[in-house]
Amino acid sequence: MKPVIVTNNPKVIESYKELCKIVFIEGEYMDVLIAVRDYIHKGHELLTHPLSGSIKPNETPYKSALISSDVGQMNISSTTIIEDSILTAKKFIENKKTPLWTESILEDFSEIDFRLLESAMGSIGL
Amino acid sequence: MRLELGNIFIKDVQFSDATKIENGVLYIDKEELLATVGGDERVKNIDVELAHPGEEVRITPVKDVIEPRVKVEGPGGMFPGVLSKVDTVGTGRTHALKNVAVVTAGKIVGFQEGIIDMSGPGAEYTPFSKLHNIVIIADPVDGIKQYDHEAAVRMIGLKAAQYLGEFAKNLEPEEIKYYETEPLLESIKKYPDLPRVGYVYMLQTQGLLHDTYVYGVDAKKIIPTILYPTEIFDGAIISGNCVSACDKNPTYVHQNNSIIEDLYEKHGKEYNFVGVIITNENVYLADKERSSNWTAKLCKYLGLDAVIVSQEGFGNPDTDLIMNCKKIENEGVKTVIVTDEYAGRDGASQSLADADPKADAVITNGNANEVILLPPMKKIIGTTQYVDTIAGGFDGSLRADGSIEVEIQAITGATNETGFVRLTAKEY
Repeated sequence: MKPVIVTNNPKVIESYKELCKIVFIEGEYMDVLIAVRDYIHKGHELLTHPLSGSIKPNETPYKSALISSDVGQMNISSTTIIEDSILTAKKFIENKKTPLWTESILEDFSEIDFRLLESAMGSIGL
Repeated sequence: MRLELGNIFIKDVQFSDATKIENGVLYIDKEELLATVGGDERVKNIDVELAHPGEEVRITPVKDVIEPRVKVEGPGGMFPGVLSKVDTVGTGRTHALKNVAVVTAGKIVGFQEGIIDMSGPGAEYTPFSKLHNIVIIADPVDGIKQYDHEAAVRMIGLKAAQYLGEFAKNLEPEEIKYYETEPLLESIKKYPDLPRVGYVYMLQTQGLLHDTYVYGVDAKKIIPTILYPTEIFDGAIISGNCVSACDKNPTYVHQNNSIIEDLYEKHGKEYNFVGVIITNENVYLADKERSSNWTAKLCKYLGLDAVIVSQEGFGNPDTDLIMNCKKIENEGVKTVIVTDEYAGRDGASQSLADADPKADAVITNGNANEVILLPPMKKIIGTTQYVDTIAGGFDGSLRADGSIEVEIQAITGATNETGFVRLTAKEY
């Protein structure tokens, strides 16, 4: 089954809209993590690490994650990883808020997030 | 596999009309160097500058740091699979130019960090402030994609290190070190009573500016495998990553991996250092599961009693680190994990994004959130234009007088997780 992409990165839509279902979140980095958590609570499995990449959660505004399209019992491992990731992201964001970036830097962040997701899509042959 | 590493100590680096090494001084023909490494259609301008220890110089944003080395005897050449053929390296003789490095600098993305101060308090946080640095700045052609830009700069740095290393080929080293790892069965026969120790070397492998290459292969596509440690000294592993520069392994750190160096120190005396298992840190969770399964399987298969596991990066690699630790321990193999911390500016927050009771032997290389004030420098190589936007920086980080208030995560190598750092941790 093809995965579902949860993202707030517009670049991801352009590239993957023909390939799999995309849940676009009109919001910030943390909003994407919360949305992913809600899907996991509904029985989707987490397929990528929510803290992918070395760019910190209070730096980049963009986040993309993969979850399964299948729904089953709530996956304990997925739940642990997303909850720990939310706690870690909160720690960074409470320490310092994400700045208001220029367009050119936003484009770079968008590209990096896209490439991180692309590496995961490569792992499943998409 | 046995490698002789001949160290040639360089006291100074100067530009000259011919590249040569005389009396411990590396003279560089700037034009010849630029002609050798230039010519890439992705690069518009290329320049080289020198930065010496103690100078009031700030290099930023740093992409990679590379030690010039050359194969003198034995199969293969430096950076196999990338600049040389894919022969298996790690035997014979290699010469290294000590106290010098090629540093590639310049913006690839607008939030790129990586600071090397050659003097002042910042210099104490980076091991590269103690080197004579040959800094290459390459400006890309307009409209280039970031991936192409990164690849071009990566190759320029490696070529420069290769070019300079060649001049050490016919010199007599002042110091020769010997490193030898026998095939597994031979080493067990040779040291039947010594505990068997391995090293699990985790490599950052996630995408643009987060990649590592092994014999030219993008390491996100490997499954964990075994290397002789000396292969790594000969440039089998190179860096393609620099985001959050404090805990990434520049190529220099791979070439001089201090865990491997230290493990060799007591090899054959206190333990049998069997070899290195390299593994990756991918985005896809099934990859993390597969790779950690394989590291544990290989540890068991090699009959190891204990391993050191070093991490590269923070956040999601914490999950790889803990998966490796748990699964290896579950095979009955003792682990020591080597990491760093993001414990908040006061150091009071949770340090890692993952944890487990089995991770009961942990070495930290510092708190990357620690704040430092870097004083103004007389000369900037590269640009500080992006300091306000780098990891560990913030609006107002760059002050009018040129000083920078920043978290040490912006400093290249400040909390490197192979222990190639100047910070130490003590428990009282």
